[in-house]
Amino acid sequence: MSLEPILFAMFGGTAIGCAVGVVFHRNPVHCALLLVGVLLSLSGLFVLLHAPFVAALQIIVYAGAIMVLFLFVVMLLNVKGESPLLTPGAAKGFGILFALIVFIELLGTVLPRSGDSSRLPDAVLPEGFGSPAAIGRILYTVWLFPFEITSILLLVAVVGAVVLAKRKFA
Amino acid sequence: MIGASAVPLVWYQVLAAVLFTIGVVGVLVRRSAIIIFMSIELMLNAVNLSFVAFSRQHGTMDGHIFVFFVMAVAAAEVAVGLAILVAIFRNRATANVDDVRLLKG
Repeated sequence: MSLEPILFAMFGGTAIGCAVGVVFHRNPVHCALLLVGVLLSLSGLFVLLHAPFVAALQIIVYAGAIMVLFLFVVMLLNVKGESPLLTPGAAKGFGILFALIVFIELLGTVLPRSGDSSRLPDAVLPEGFGSPAAIGRILYTVWLFPFEITSILLLVAVVGAVVLAKRKFA
Repeated sequence: MIGASAVPLVWYQVLAAVLFTIGVVGVLVRRSAIIIFMSIELMLNAVNLSFVAFSRQHGTMDGHIFVFFVMAVAAAEVAVGLAILVAIFRNRATANVDDVRLLKG
């Protein structure tokens, strides 16, 4: 009996529990911290899936940088818990109904159909799969152009954020 | 060499679907713009999990690269989105999306 199913259940359960907390907790700071919980357990799942570099990125970029930004804004805005917490009236019912439809649709896509033999077996991974060296090699060869475009996107985002957050418009 | 996964990869896909659905519920049901942003992050992460699981199944690293790009786009989106939120809060003193409906007329 390998350790993997136990770790999967642990990380998956934590992720789902924290995600429910993010959606239904009243205090935005708690929501942000629960979201960090989701991100950390997802990075554990990435390690289980032999993606150590992505797991490290997840912790550094998401749990580190993006969540600090969220907490900054939460404290900057000093938003008290909303009242009411959820959208009122029929919109809430429709929202949950719509989400259920999305979920069923997703499950229908993901779950294997009975008698479907076209599903691939798991690939045998080479040594060093998902390591920074291996990812860097294809990132700077096959995906070089999208990578460079990303830098422009980030530059635009920086300029946009500075302009938007300026105290006076023009 | 690493063989087949001990956990069926379908489980990872189902987990990703559950997380995505929770994110959808958050966007549709909550009224605070900050929480809506967090729910969007939740959905992006669910998709990332799905990418990595498919990458594991196919034995190619292109899924990892896509996760990398999703993270970069998410960082840009959060920076601009939160700046918009701060600007709205400065002008209207609210982060409730129901109070911001100037375009609705």
